[in-house]
Amino acid sequence: MARITGRARVLTAAAVLTAAALGVSACSSSGDTDGGSTDGAGQTLKLWHYEGADSAMGKAWAEAINVFEKETGAKVEFEEKSFEQIQKTASQVLDTDAAPDVMEFNKGNATAGFLASTGLISDISDAVAQYGWADKLAPSLQTTAKYTDKGVMGGDTWYGVPNYGEFVGVYYNKDAFAAAGLQIPTTYDEFIKVLDAFVAKGITPLAEAGAEYPLGQLWYQLALAKGSRDWVNDYQLYKNPVDWQGAETSYASETLKDYVAKGYIAKDVSSIKAEDAGVSFINGTAPIFVSGSWWYGRFTEQATGFDWTMQAFPGSTLSLGSSGNLWVVPQNAKNKDLAYKFIDITMRPEIQAIIGNNGGLPVAADPKDITDAKSKDLISTFNGILGQDGLSFYPDWPAPGFYDVIVQQLQGLVTGTQDAATTNANLGTAYDEGTADYR
Amino acid sequence: MSLTARARRTRVIDDEPAIPQRGRGRGAYWLYLLPGFLLLLIIVIVPLVWNVYLTFTSWKGVRAPTFIGAANWIKLVGDEAFWTSFLNSVWMVIAMVIVPTIVGLLIAALLFDVVGRKFVGRVGSFLRATYYLPQILPVAVAGIVIGWIVRPGSDGALNQLLGGIGIAPYDWLGQMPSALLVLMVVLVWVQIGYPVVVFMAALQRVDPELYEAAELDGANWFQRFASITVSIIRPEIFVVTLTCTIAALKVFGPVYVITRGGPAGATLVPSYYAYQEFFTKRDVGYGATIATVLTILVVIVSIVFIRVQNSLERKERAGL
Repeated sequence: MARITGRARVLTAAAVLTAAALGVSACSSSGDTDGGSTDGAGQTLKLWHYEGADSAMGKAWAEAINVFEKETGAKVEFEEKSFEQIQKTASQVLDTDAAPDVMEFNKGNATAGFLASTGLISDISDAVAQYGWADKLAPSLQTTAKYTDKGVMGGDTWYGVPNYGEFVGVYYNKDAFAAAGLQIPTTYDEFIKVLDAFVAKGITPLAEAGAEYPLGQLWYQLALAKGSRDWVNDYQLYKNPVDWQGAETSYASETLKDYVAKGYIAKDVSSIKAEDAGVSFINGTAPIFVSGSWWYGRFTEQATGFDWTMQAFPGSTLSLGSSGNLWVVPQNAKNKDLAYKFIDITMRPEIQAIIGNNGGLPVAADPKDITDAKSKDLISTFNGILGQDGLSFYPDWPAPGFYDVIVQQLQGLVTGTQDAATTNANLGTAYDEGTADYR
Repeated sequence: MSLTARARRTRVIDDEPAIPQRGRGRGAYWLYLLPGFLLLLIIVIVPLVWNVYLTFTSWKGVRAPTFIGAANWIKLVGDEAFWTSFLNSVWMVIAMVIVPTIVGLLIAALLFDVVGRKFVGRVGSFLRATYYLPQILPVAVAGIVIGWIVRPGSDGALNQLLGGIGIAPYDWLGQMPSALLVLMVVLVWVQIGYPVVVFMAALQRVDPELYEAAELDGANWFQRFASITVSIIRPEIFVVTLTCTIAALKVFGPVYVITRGGPAGATLVPSYYAYQEFFTKRDVGYGATIATVLTILVVIVSIVFIRVQNSLERKERAGL
């Protein structure tokens, strides 16, 4: 081993200092010459999201990461998480130094609202104003991004930014309709006539799943058919107490029971999972499926044996739906400014177009950039709902754990274990108990 | 001499050398026990005390808990779902303790007597291993397989089999009592290997001369089983019964993957109910209350089992 002399040490130290100085100046000059675009050089943005790589959002955000790294010079440390993982453990992690800088999180009172009320995610109102994101989001999309200090959506403070929307409508197998000599219904009466016609032919028309979310969503859609925006605000934003034996919920529960009794829905619906219901539409077994736009991309790829379309639920101006999940910035994030820059990139038309051309519903895309015909149809239906202020959120949002309550109560209803009044009473008890802290 | 008395004679508890008891140097024992006590304190005692404290709070899992007195306990008393979950624990005990222990005992005896004599070597080992296989299978995998078998409609394997003999498709997991019955059958299937393996190992202790003597005395198989086998492996029966009872009271995985407490909460069990309160409702205080009741129950059951076992052993030593 060469012996290091005192002179050599001095020279080495000088060389290191010179190199360091050059390095610093190189960073500075680089930042200066690019107008500050690489001012994130040497920094790392810690990012969590749970979209599949092949999904519309997964593709869009992969491109956003590329753009972000090029423009800021920062590295993105992306950690792929599962929805359940973030949903169930995020609140613990966000309270520590391990919190990411920007994270995808589910919207709603029990989720993003809960984090907002506990101070675990940042008030990003200043960034929203600085980057002008509010101008890109329709008012009904903003509801789920803004919360009160108790975590109730529709407040005044911005805690998240959505990149996309979603809604629940009705998928129709057009070939099955043609074979049965039926037209796609445009009114609720026509919808019922179609269901009767399929039943008469020995076909169970509605793909449904009582063990998971689809049945609860149909129940809420039926309530929305009799409800108004005020009822939605009472139910979701706690403006007034909800009458659980009122017209909306009574109609929903009784009609759902009728649907099973009349054979519109299979008798064994209570143990069927969402995946099985979706597959029964894909393989052509069930000609109608009431569910969300999140199936659209998959149906485009897999339901290729027949022609199909998706429409808003007939005869109702209100539809389940909301903004998509939110980008939130944890309070313990180390690089909040970089996080805002990343969010801003995801709102750019070119990134939004990736969402739109892959079966998603962008919130700020340039219509000219959407080239896929099927996607254009979907976005057009969504814009129709937005145009009539129709997004009415989801039934389980008002209270933590209300999802399980709805699933279990509707299982009781459709299996005949309990009647509609009891079902509504039980739902009401759980709802009142679960929302008490937020009122 | 009766068969039971002969069997008891094979036990040598009284002849075991006693651990020397000396006044000096006892401190060294405590030194060896210290790591264990420390771990017990950190892993069991502190969380237990914290859990009991949480039962008197309203807490969402983040920030500081709010003290609310006995509200969670009062709510528990009138909570129908809580009582349903504990009632279902009785069914879990039947499925995970009573049936597997009885059937496991018979299978072990048959394997030992018949298979052990006729099929030696690898064949015997294979036959024994087949009973233990479900114990190795991850519960998530078992759940998927069971879900496929009892799937509703005519796609399900069970419904297809039944369709072959003209029975209409049935919604096994969507109706009661079939959902609970399916869950119980799965638990029996998963659980059976454990007592079989333990009892098989225990039977190695039995002196073959006892069976030969019993046969010469004219005892049939069941008399030999009841008087020799059961008597000698009674300590193992206690261990199996105790550990399986605790497992049955705490059962979570199979319920989570097969029924999620459905339909309409009919297969809810205390562990899953506590999990729901903890993680989906974020009502940590109430979840802790359910968990505390469950812990108390497990401790009581354990104490009762151990006391009964000790009492029987004392009687046995006394030759009663």
